[in-house]
Amino acid sequence: MFELARRMDKVKTSDIRELLKLTDKPGMISFGGGLPAPELFPVERLKEVTAKVLESSGAEALQYAATEGYQPLRRKIAERMNRRFGTLMSENNILVTCGSQQGLDFTGKIFINEGDTVLCESPTYLGAINAFSAYGPKMVEVPTDNDGMLPEQLEHILDTERNIRLIYVIPDSQNPSGRTWSTERRKRFMELLKGRNIPVLEDAPYSELRFDGNIMPSLKSMDTEGIIIYLGTFSKVFCPGMRIGWVAADERILEKYGLVKQGADLHSSNITQRNISAYMEMYDLDSDIERIRLVYKSRRDAMHKALLADFPGGARFTHPEGGLFTWVELEGDINTRELLVESLGSNVAFVPGESFFPNGGGKNTMRLNFSNMPEEKITEGIKILGDLIKRRVNCAEACVNRT
Amino acid sequence: MEIRIDKEGKTPMYLQISRRIREMILSGTLPAGFRLPPERKLAEELQVNRTTVLNAYRELKSGGFVDSHIGQGTTVTLRQASEDTVWESGGSGTPDMPSMPWEQLFSESSLRIQDTTVRDLLGGVRSDMILFAAGVTVPGHDSLEALKRIQAEVLESSGRIAVQHTPTEGLFPLRESICELMRERGINAKAAETMVLTGSQQGLDLIARAFIEAGDVVLAEEPTFFSAVHIFKAAGARVVGIPADNEGMRTDLLDMLVKRFKPKLIYTIPDFQNPSGAVMSMERRKTLLSVASRNQVVILEDDPYGLLRYEGKAMPALKAMDIYGNVLYLSTFSKLMFPGFRVGWLTAPPQVLYRLTMLKQMADLHTSSLPQLIIDRFLREGLIKEHLEKANKENRSRRDLMVSELESSHPDGMGWNRPEGGLYLWCRLPERVPQSRLLASSMERGVSFVPGDVFFPGSPLGNYIRLNYTYPTSEQIVEGVKRLMASYAGIAREQKKYGTGIANELGPII
Repeated sequence: MFELARRMDKVKTSDIRELLKLTDKPGMISFGGGLPAPELFPVERLKEVTAKVLESSGAEALQYAATEGYQPLRRKIAERMNRRFGTLMSENNILVTCGSQQGLDFTGKIFINEGDTVLCESPTYLGAINAFSAYGPKMVEVPTDNDGMLPEQLEHILDTERNIRLIYVIPDSQNPSGRTWSTERRKRFMELLKGRNIPVLEDAPYSELRFDGNIMPSLKSMDTEGIIIYLGTFSKVFCPGMRIGWVAADERILEKYGLVKQGADLHSSNITQRNISAYMEMYDLDSDIERIRLVYKSRRDAMHKALLADFPGGARFTHPEGGLFTWVELEGDINTRELLVESLGSNVAFVPGESFFPNGGGKNTMRLNFSNMPEEKITEGIKILGDLIKRRVNCAEACVNRT
Repeated sequence: MEIRIDKEGKTPMYLQISRRIREMILSGTLPAGFRLPPERKLAEELQVNRTTVLNAYRELKSGGFVDSHIGQGTTVTLRQASEDTVWESGGSGTPDMPSMPWEQLFSESSLRIQDTTVRDLLGGVRSDMILFAAGVTVPGHDSLEALKRIQAEVLESSGRIAVQHTPTEGLFPLRESICELMRERGINAKAAETMVLTGSQQGLDLIARAFIEAGDVVLAEEPTFFSAVHIFKAAGARVVGIPADNEGMRTDLLDMLVKRFKPKLIYTIPDFQNPSGAVMSMERRKTLLSVASRNQVVILEDDPYGLLRYEGKAMPALKAMDIYGNVLYLSTFSKLMFPGFRVGWLTAPPQVLYRLTMLKQMADLHTSSLPQLIIDRFLREGLIKEHLEKANKENRSRRDLMVSELESSHPDGMGWNRPEGGLYLWCRLPERVPQSRLLASSMERGVSFVPGDVFFPGSPLGNYIRLNYTYPTSEQIVEGVKRLMASYAGIAREQKKYGTGIANELGPII
C-alpha cells in the first residue's frame, strides 16, 4: 500500500549484509566480512574503563551531548592524527560520526546531486558505492595499478569528464584490493588536483595497520588547499561494535557535516565516546595497534603462502602491505558468484569481486579477508577454495577440448 | 574590526560575537598576533554587557583561536602551518592559492539543511546556565547504580558481543524486550516488526529518505517538533500545519486537508505533544485513523512521552488501534531513561521495516552494541517500571513547583497549560513581550528556554515559549523562574512606556 520515494530504487540488498549473516554460522571459515580478530578485543580492560566512566561522570555521560562530538575525544583524535599521519588538525577540524559509514553517507548527501560525476578507484569499497548510489551519481572508475590511480588516465578524466563533484579514494591498504599508493603517486595526485576545486574523500580505516615499512603520509598531510576530507574510524583498530569514527576537514566544510549529523541522529552515543576517550587515557592505543598489526601480518603471510601453494597457477593475487584483504583475479571465465555458492556448501565464505565495481565487471575476481581467522583455518580454507577452483578450471578445459 | 550583532536574534549574543570573530580569523582578516580590543572597550562599542564579551573571548579561547596573557590582552593565535613544514596542511588558502569555494560545491539537498536550533540548544551552554530549554529527564540515583551493575555484568557475560558488529535491525533480544515494553502502550507488536535506531531522530531521517520526494506534502500538528519539520523539508517536502487545540489536532479539518493537499504522510505526537503538551482525544484518534486509512496516507506516530504520564488516565497509542496497518510507530529511550545512549526504536509493517533497514545499513551499519545490551538487561530485569514510577513522581512535583512559582509571580498577560505528563510547559505571551526579546534578556540573566516560533512550520500562530521543568533542580526552577520573571517584567514595563506600534511593521526595501 505504501508508495516509496524513487530514490529507494537505488538502495539494494548489499552483500555486506548477507555476509554478516553467513559468518555467524558455526564452523564457517570466513574470508568474507572485514571483521577484526575477535580475540584481540580488550574486553577485560573495557570493564574497568566503562565502570570508571559511569562512576566518575555517569550523569553527564548519559545526557545529550554536542553534535560535533565529545570535546576531549575530538582533541585526542586531532593529536593522534598529527602524530601518526603528519597532519595539522585541531579539535575544531574533527566531527565524531557513527563509524566511517556515516561519514560516507553524509559526504554523499552533502556533495552529490543526481547525475553528478564521482571518481573512484577500480575496484572500490562496496559500502561507499552503496552510500553514494542512493544520491544518483555517475560513478567513473579511474584505472588503478599496484601503486594507486594511474596519473595520465586520471588527468585525462579530470580534463574531459564534466561535473566531477567528488573523488573517493582509499590510499592505504585499499578495500578490496589491499593495494597501497606509493608516495610518488600521492604527490602526483595532489599536483593533478591543484586548483580544480574538487573535494577528495580520503577514507583511511587501515592506515595504521601497515605491515611493511612506516605509515604512509596521508593525503590530508599534503593538503594545502583544504580539499581533502578525511574519514577515520576506531572500528579496525579498536572495537567495531562501538561505531565511532570521525570526519577531519576544513572547519567551513565541517560545519555542514554538523548540520547533516544533527538531522541524522543529533550526536553519536555520548557514553561510548567517553569510553573510548577514557580508554585512550588509561591505556596505550598505539601498543594495542602494534599487537593487532603483528597478528594480521602473520595471517597475511599464512594466506599468501597458502595461495601460492593451493591456488592454480593462472590466479593472480595482491601481496598487501597492510589492512585486512587480499584481492584475487582468477583466470578466464570462472564466475566467483557461482564459486561462492559452491564454497558455502564446503563452509568457506568470501566476497565475490563483482560487487566492488560500481559499473559491473570483475566476475572472475574475489576478496579474501585474512584478519578474522586463525592461521590454520586460513590454510585449510584456502586449500578448499583452491581445490574448488582447480576443479572448475579443469572442467572448463575439458569442455573446451571436447568442442 | 566591525562586528554586527542582532540583539533580538535567537542566537545568544556572546555566540554571535565569537562566531563573527572566528570567521574573521579563518578568512585571514584578523592575522595571527592581532590583538583583540579589551573586553570593556568592545562591550562599550557593541553596547552589551562586559560578561557577554568575556564569554565570547572564552569561547574563542577554548577553540584555540585566541590566547590571552596577563598584561598582553587577547591575541589571535598562529594557526597556519609554518613555511618550512614538509607536509603542510590547513586549508585556509595561501596567498597564491585561494581557498575552496565550498558553498558552490554543496548539493541541492544539503543546501536545504540550514537550521541550527538544536545544535545551539545542545552546545555552547555556559556551565552556570539554568536550562529550561532542555528536553530530558534526569535519571535517579537508583537507576544509575543499577546501570553500573548491569554494565559490568553484561561485559562479563557478553563482552564479545558488546565490542563486535551486531545486526543492522538491532540485537534480537532487545527487539523482543521493546515489544514487551510497548504492551504498556497497548501495542501488540512482534520483534520482527521492530528495529533499533540510533535515537528516534534517526527514524525520522530514515522515514523521510524512504518516503519523501521533492514536492510531497507532509501534514503535521501546528505547532510541532521542529527537528521533524526540518528533516521533512530537507527531503524536499512541503510541510502543512494542521491546527490543534488542547485535544490534539483538529481532525474535523483533516478530511478537507487530505483532499486538498494529498499528503504522503501525517506526522503526529498524540501524547504530550511537543511543545503543546496536548493529548489527542479518543474520538480524534479514531477519526485520524479512519481518514488516513481511507486515503492510504501513512501515519507517523512519534511517541517519546507516552510512558511519561503522571496524572490522569492513559490513552492507547494510535499503533494499538492500527487495524489497517498504516501507522509507523517511533519512540526512544532518550526521554524514558538515558539520552546519552542514543537508542530509539521503530515499529512498522515488515516490508517497511525491511526498506528502512537497508537505509540504516547505509547510514551507520548498526547502533552501538554495548548500549543495546545494557538497555535489554535493564528491561528484562523489570527495572524500567520502577524507574518510570520514580521519574514520573519527580516530574510531577517539578511541574507543580514550576507552575506554582509562575502563579505566585502572576505575570500580567502570560498563560500556561498544566500537562498530565511529558516534559514541558507551553506558555503564551502577550504581544507586548516578544519572545525574542525575552530570550535575549533571560539569557543575559543565565536562563535559557526555547522560543515558540521554532515549532511552527509556517508563520507562528501566536507568541509562545516552551519551558522544560524536568531537567533543572528544584532550586534552579525557583531561581530560574525568578530571573525569567524579572526579564518579563522589565520588557513589559518598557513596552508600556514606548508602545509596540512599530514592532511588526516592515520597512520598504528600496
